[in-house]
Amino acid sequence: MQNVNRLLLVGAMAMAHSLGGGAASADEANACIGNSGPVTGPAAFGGKAIRMGAELAVEDINAAGGVLGQELEFIQYDDAGAPPRGVDNVRRIGLADNCVAMIGGYHSTVALAQRDPIHEIGMPYVGTIAANTKVIENGRDPNFMFRVSAKDRWVTKFLVAEGIKRSENNAIGIMYENTGWGKGAYPDLQNALREQGLEEVGAETFNWEDTDMTPQLIRLRDAGAEVVIMWGLDREGNQILRSLQKIDWSPVVIGAWGFAGNLGELAGDLANCALIMQTYSWMGELEPKAQALYERMQDSFDIESQEEIRMGSGVANAYDAVHIIAKAIEHAGSFDRAEVYEALFEVEHEGLVTNYSPAFERTEERHDAILPEAYKLTAWYGGKLLPFEQTPCE
Amino acid sequence: MSSVVQYLLAGLGIGGIYALVALGFHIMWSSAKAVNFAHGDTLMLGAVLTIVFLDFGLPMSVAIALAIGVSVIFGVVLERVAIRPFAAQARSIGWMLTTIAIGIMLESYATISFGAFARPLPSPLAEKPVIILGAGVFPQELLIPLAAVAIVGLLYFFQRRTQLGRAMRAVAFNREAAGIVGINVTRIAMISFALASALGGLSGILVAPVIQASATMGLLLGIKGFAVAIIGGITSAPGVVIAGLLYGVIEKFVDGYISTAAREAVGFSIVILVLMIWPQGLFGRKEIVKV
Amino acid sequence: MMWLSRNLNWLFAVVAAVLILAMPDIAGNEYALRFYTLMLIYTILALGLNVLVGYTGLVSLGQAGLYAIGAYTAAILATRLGFGFVPCLILGMVFAGSFGILLAYPTVRVRGVYLAVVTIAFGIIVENIAIEWDSLTGSWVGISNVPKPTLLGLPLNHKMYFYIVGGCALAAFAVNVNIMNSRFGRAMLATSQSEIAAASLGINVTALRTLAFVLSAVTAGAAGVLYVFLNKYISPDIFSFSDSIRFLLMVILGGAGTTLGPVVGAGALSYLPELLQQFGEWQRFVYGALLAIVMFVLPRGIVGSAADILHRFFPAARRETDGDKRPLGEIVSIGPAGGEVCLEAKDLSLHFGGLAALNNVNAQLSSGEIHGLIGPNGAGKSTLLNAVSGIYRVNSGRVFFLGVDTTDMRSHQLARRGLARTFQNTELFQEMTVLDNVWAGFHSDYRTGLFGAILRLPSYRKEEEKHRRAALDLLNFVGLTDYAYEKAKSLPFGFQRKLEIARALAVRPKLLLLDEPAAGLTQSEIDDLRDLIIQLSDHGITIVVVEHHMELVMAISSQMTVLDYGEVIAKGTAAEVQEDPKVIEAYFGSPEMLAPPPEERLDDAEREP
Repeated sequence: MQNVNRLLLVGAMAMAHSLGGGAASADEANACIGNSGPVTGPAAFGGKAIRMGAELAVEDINAAGGVLGQELEFIQYDDAGAPPRGVDNVRRIGLADNCVAMIGGYHSTVALAQRDPIHEIGMPYVGTIAANTKVIENGRDPNFMFRVSAKDRWVTKFLVAEGIKRSENNAIGIMYENTGWGKGAYPDLQNALREQGLEEVGAETFNWEDTDMTPQLIRLRDAGAEVVIMWGLDREGNQILRSLQKIDWSPVVIGAWGFAGNLGELAGDLANCALIMQTYSWMGELEPKAQALYERMQDSFDIESQEEIRMGSGVANAYDAVHIIAKAIEHAGSFDRAEVYEALFEVEHEGLVTNYSPAFERTEERHDAILPEAYKLTAWYGGKLLPFEQTPCE
Repeated sequence: MSSVVQYLLAGLGIGGIYALVALGFHIMWSSAKAVNFAHGDTLMLGAVLTIVFLDFGLPMSVAIALAIGVSVIFGVVLERVAIRPFAAQARSIGWMLTTIAIGIMLESYATISFGAFARPLPSPLAEKPVIILGAGVFPQELLIPLAAVAIVGLLYFFQRRTQLGRAMRAVAFNREAAGIVGINVTRIAMISFALASALGGLSGILVAPVIQASATMGLLLGIKGFAVAIIGGITSAPGVVIAGLLYGVIEKFVDGYISTAAREAVGFSIVILVLMIWPQGLFGRKEIVKV
Repeated sequence: MMWLSRNLNWLFAVVAAVLILAMPDIAGNEYALRFYTLMLIYTILALGLNVLVGYTGLVSLGQAGLYAIGAYTAAILATRLGFGFVPCLILGMVFAGSFGILLAYPTVRVRGVYLAVVTIAFGIIVENIAIEWDSLTGSWVGISNVPKPTLLGLPLNHKMYFYIVGGCALAAFAVNVNIMNSRFGRAMLATSQSEIAAASLGINVTALRTLAFVLSAVTAGAAGVLYVFLNKYISPDIFSFSDSIRFLLMVILGGAGTTLGPVVGAGALSYLPELLQQFGEWQRFVYGALLAIVMFVLPRGIVGSAADILHRFFPAARRETDGDKRPLGEIVSIGPAGGEVCLEAKDLSLHFGGLAALNNVNAQLSSGEIHGLIGPNGAGKSTLLNAVSGIYRVNSGRVFFLGVDTTDMRSHQLARRGLARTFQNTELFQEMTVLDNVWAGFHSDYRTGLFGAILRLPSYRKEEEKHRRAALDLLNFVGLTDYAYEKAKSLPFGFQRKLEIARALAVRPKLLLLDEPAAGLTQSEIDDLRDLIIQLSDHGITIVVVEHHMELVMAISSQMTVLDYGEVIAKGTAAEVQEDPKVIEAYFGSPEMLAPPPEERLDDAEREP
């Protein structure tokens, strides 16, 4: 099977060669890492987080002599969160720029759509934010999709476990956003509950820019929920908290990392003790390595305070991902994508988020590099998203 | 019972927002037979600028006044560059696209300079909900529909008791005839856009404590506000407000009793149906072709 | 110059065909070739939208919805039922086309900016359904795994697929050009500039708008299907409101109503995002700024404005002469109306709000006469014309035209029965040439249909030539030969009046209603007009003249009717009417002169809801 795919890959590249007059070479790609992320639109902060992490890593690598003696280049294209543009960008990175690998973007819908062209081209893809389970666990072999980020299936287990700790009757309700990301996580949440022998007492959706969530929350309240697991972004998270206040109900609120942006600023004290899962936090006292990176961000990227690092997990993930790819190239000893793919399983790396040892394994599940043990529970308190232990929350 | 009241109150709050946007469209349309298609972005401008001015440390009242002032200037400039050159064209594509273009520029500039995140605008009326018949609502949410109704009243008074208002009514009635009796039609159009933009900026400031201020807050509000203005009958101020409030309430009941997912499909189907039955909107004036 | 501008479209098509053939070798890599394929797909979509926006003058802000319907039809059929490329293409077009009919339905009643809202709503509904009907559309995640396109069982590689899309684009272009240069194109343009005048020429405006919607829907559907098989993946994100705006922009940017405009616009707007990537987070801002600049600098689009400039330097040359000096009877066969009574109004009443514009009007028109209809301002003369010619619906009473009850007929039906008219403020098709104005009048005289026109069948060409000759001859008849290729709006006012009469003659009228034909004319022009009216009458056409110019109307009318306050106050010959005390009172000294002029009161009343 793998051979057939290799054959198809070579065939496709040979065809590109015949059309392209030599732009694409059959075995050596260029020393660049591409990215398709939101540079414009409401999630532009996600694209910026990836760019900051990746460019910092590329600077490190080039300062140390590059990869295989060549300067590594980072190229970012805008997908504005639209999957078709993301698909286009994969082809541009793989066929026109002929990059050796690419790192993933912010939106899960984009990442899901990119699986097909990634495998058509046969280019390793390492996700940095988008956490949908099926981006990685897609049944393909070989599977060119890797990730240095959270995986929704593990995130949901993590959130459900935290929820059960805080619920007397194990009555958990779900509020998820009506997008690819939210809809993709819902079955994972159901499974996570089922593994605990539970079922959600209710599941409700909301749309972006919705300003009032009282109908959904009334239904959850009347169904007896004690904990609400929220799956969405800050703006809507704020509306959920305010609608809770309207109907005078205060369940335990636990959220995915979409609420790690500025929920505290939006909702003020209402956000206190809203629990959020993250892979990395730039808040509080930083380790020397992280402190140095933070100072470089201040110099190069218009960052003035720690709070201004939006989607900080994404910065750390992208930083680690680029280092891992670079190590894989060194290990492969060439810019041949197939060889780099093989080499990714050999990389060990002491990263920002965790110690990757090894980064990836050959099972589908372990194409995800960050294990659930590395996930961090944080909580909003006094307008800041702090490590849980540093808050008085329960 | 309390959930019915809850949907009703929440619906009135949202409907009030649509009504305010639609009123702006009404004012512009009346005098120019053209609108700023991106009027939603005027709301964004008012809300975002208020926050920016507050960031500079200005007191709330000054920030609000300045934000509305900038909105007015924006409206006047927009009318001059994007509406007037195209108003003479028989088809409306010209001003539609120029105003959309300016809306795109405004929105993307705001995204870059203000940031992609929503930010709160503090208001004493949006801190603690009040309970009415078991349903919770922020006083600010009640203020919005009341403001819309009050503005219709003011508009009525203004158009009948003041020289300028009467001139505006005359232009709305018949541009040519108004021109013939010596009314400066161009100036009236400019003043209307200034007025609509002032209202837009003010509306933005009114709604921001409820929906948050963000660079992208205008797009959907603009589209829905325009649809509401059209089904209400864009020539009638009370008509657009009634349509706005109704639309908001219907949305909330669809949310509550059918599903959140069906909301837009149901809402916009109603828009089409209303227009098929009342081509000039519910309360619009029938315009008879004269040949 | 003329040859060039006449054949520019075909010259372009040949160049485009050569480019398409060579493109796979020019394109540096597969990504580039895909990009060019996409560009052609947008071209197809823009060409179809141009029929709606450019020719017919209807704004659609929901075209992405039709594009989505084509795309989802193909994606679902291909992934669920294993349909091949060709069946998907056909079904996608059919399905999108039927939604086009659905969308056209509101246009019967809904107009202008109201219609724009209907199309916006349609686009949003389609997008919402694509998002929410999860089991069918895959929601936000969309549909992937679309199989590679095959033709006759053979898989198509990128190059072959590019050629197929290129062929479709060329075909769409040819269809577009052929429709534009046919009676349908002229009728669409006419409708967009004056719906009422178009209907008065027998053009069924509703049918034409439906046709335009269907054509634009079918092409949007085809583009959607082609996109699916190119990208092999779709999701709701590419079918949003802003995409509808982008599609509309392609047409406007290139030049709405021109044949080359959509091609240029689609090319430019496909390439723009590539170009804008370098602006990073500023790219949307630059996009908006470019858009605004284009609208200010080139309001008629790139091609439209270029054509204007060319036209300024190379004014329209006369293509060939002329039209022969032939008697009217030979140009258009106008027989005298059969029967004694041409038109009869029985107890007509029409109210605007509370005010009776017509009150129990009874009038009879004998075949062959010139009938003067006079009365003070606001007496209801124009209202009466509008009522009998099907523009207004009366509240009560009946109208009989040539013995048939035509009360409930619409304007275009009456025109086809031989009732033609001119308008008080001239309703010419301003942006069309003088020749095309008249030529459009022959619309309902054609026998060949849409397919004949698209395929340029011999029978169609013959008919086209015949009517063109006739139109030129009519221009000769009224003395406008020299202006045949000028735009109607550039004519002096007196000539515009003449042109309107020539256009009305194309309908082969048995009855011609002239609404204040002398208004705004000089004395010598009025003399010409009088001669013309008498000449028409000599050909057996029954004529009604509404006129304030008493000298003229008294000189030519054999019978007269006088209206005041919506009521008939006198009838008879010119001499009888002149003596009638009621008429004298209505026109001159009566205490009512002190009351506000009736025109104003009528205006108020007409604007009541």
